[in-house]
Amino acid sequence: MNVTTIFILHGLVYAGLLFLVSSGLTLVFGMMNVLNFAHASFYMLAAYFSYSLLRWTGNFWLCLLVCPFLLFVIGALIERFLLRRVHVFGHLHELLLTFGIAFIISEVVKWVWGTAPLPIEIGGFLDGNVTLRGVIYPTYRFFVLFCSILIGLLMSFLLLKTRMGITVRSAVDDSEMVNALGVNTPRVFMFVFALGAALSGLAGVISGPLLSINTGMATAILVDAFVVIVIGGFGSLIGAVVASLMIGQLQSFGALLFPKISLALIYLLMAIVLIAKPSGLFGEKK
Amino acid sequence: MKKDSKAIQIWGLIILLVLFFLPLVARPYIVNLLTEMIIFSLYAVSYNLLLGFGGLLSFGHGMFLGLGAFTAGAMLQRIPGLPFFGAVFLGTLVATLIGLGVGCLLLRHKGTYYALLTLAFNALFYAVAIKWHAVTGGDDGLPVKRPNLHLGFVQLPMSDVTVFYYVTLVVIGCAVLFCWYFTKTAMGKTVLLVRENEERMQFIGYNPAASRMILFTLTAFFAGLAGSFYALFFKFVGVDAIGIDMTTTALLMTFIGGTKNFFGPVLGAGFYIYFQNFLSNLTDRWPLFMGILFVLMVLFAPQGLSGLIRSLVDLFRKRENGKATPKEVHPSGE
Repeated sequence: MNVTTIFILHGLVYAGLLFLVSSGLTLVFGMMNVLNFAHASFYMLAAYFSYSLLRWTGNFWLCLLVCPFLLFVIGALIERFLLRRVHVFGHLHELLLTFGIAFIISEVVKWVWGTAPLPIEIGGFLDGNVTLRGVIYPTYRFFVLFCSILIGLLMSFLLLKTRMGITVRSAVDDSEMVNALGVNTPRVFMFVFALGAALSGLAGVISGPLLSINTGMATAILVDAFVVIVIGGFGSLIGAVVASLMIGQLQSFGALLFPKISLALIYLLMAIVLIAKPSGLFGEKK
Repeated sequence: MKKDSKAIQIWGLIILLVLFFLPLVARPYIVNLLTEMIIFSLYAVSYNLLLGFGGLLSFGHGMFLGLGAFTAGAMLQRIPGLPFFGAVFLGTLVATLIGLGVGCLLLRHKGTYYALLTLAFNALFYAVAIKWHAVTGGDDGLPVKRPNLHLGFVQLPMSDVTVFYYVTLVVIGCAVLFCWYFTKTAMGKTVLLVRENEERMQFIGYNPAASRMILFTLTAFFAGLAGSFYALFFKFVGVDAIGIDMTTTALLMTFIGGTKNFFGPVLGAGFYIYFQNFLSNLTDRWPLFMGILFVLMVLFAPQGLSGLIRSLVDLFRKRENGKATPKEVHPSGE
């Protein structure tokens, strides 16, 4: 019983991280039709930033605020000065550009921080354990879960209740029409791209103490995030939530029940979903 | 256009002659570099058949190179006395069969779904390569011994750099030329037209899904062939051979060379290998410069090196001909 609970919690925590990364990815794809290969690099970059900042200041809460903001700025700059330039060449070039950026970021990270995995110690009250109905579980994992739920709620509020959210949602649906109606869509694109980078960065910061910080972390979560948005359907936020939960549980129980083939399970799930419903669970057929 | 094809023929002949006679004068280091370039040329050309001709962006091409390499390596280890071309044959066969299987699953998809699915398959095979320690050696990799080549009456010592170079040149060169021939056949044209207007091809009575699958299997075949030679050349196969980075390499080579021209990827592969060797002598951070070069090319030279050469040639002709032949100044298409 206890083991089951712990593994469900493990799955939920990973689902939370995955949601933070894939929500930005799916929104950017829905709007700009660009699969952003650099998205997970933002995640990795933020994790390394938080490592340095933590060594410098020793304050984890500061990292939690500053790093996503830095990534917001980096994301906005990349969209404004690189991605927008190649927009005229078509989607393939945009995709290749993000790919090149991902390549550069991963090399810069190796250069600056080295290839060895870095440990991260946060201390404070987050470092302990919580006993909940007989199950001992690290406080930090609850914190990760709490963060992702909070961000999820905040995002759904922004998207569903504010004017900006309406603009973003309609741009996901049909960006040309929104542009024709007098909205500055390039600016909306830039904002969403930057916001996605910031969310990915936040996920990177909170993943640091949970998983180790290493140079392979971007690729690892990128493939999972791609699977999430394929299963959930491109451009669908609710799809990202559901698919993240599925992948999280599958990862967690796959490692428990079938350790040999746990890696293959998520691809199997993706294959099944694509055969049954090629546009994903919540995607619209275009 | 006739002038172009004549120029291409002459240049092709010159390059073939250089490739043929160079090992007689060059150092073994250069010969090895050339061998590597030739092997990766086929890999990049097969990738460009997908990307440039089929319009299919794949992130899983590395798995076929890796499958070919691992099969050839593992079979040489397990079957004593397996001849040189036996290993090449088995490596290519396994890559082709898996290409056929994966192609069947992918044929309905295109665009981003296609790219993501190929990525997922590549990740799957990478995971298998790491976990299946008994066959692939896992993280340690797989040492490969290079058997000698028996040609009936004569035995060629394959440990000799120059001999291996010539065998590679003949086999891989023929494969590259076959790819070129393929683009000229009816099947090759069908693939091209499906990329341009799939709906219309369907109306005329072609089956786009089938031609996509044939193309995919064919490229898997050639990548597998390149992979078998990769294993025999390096005498070692690590998990890098099947990783995402290997696909990245194909993409970089193809894009640097240019996707619009058949021989662009050959140029790209040669340039990539040379640049990599040149940079890795200077700095350990060569992938960073490769990445920066790639981004710069996406930004400023989206047609790749072959596109750059093309526009230089056009510029030169424009100056040479003056106003005499205004028709040639504006090339159609693009």
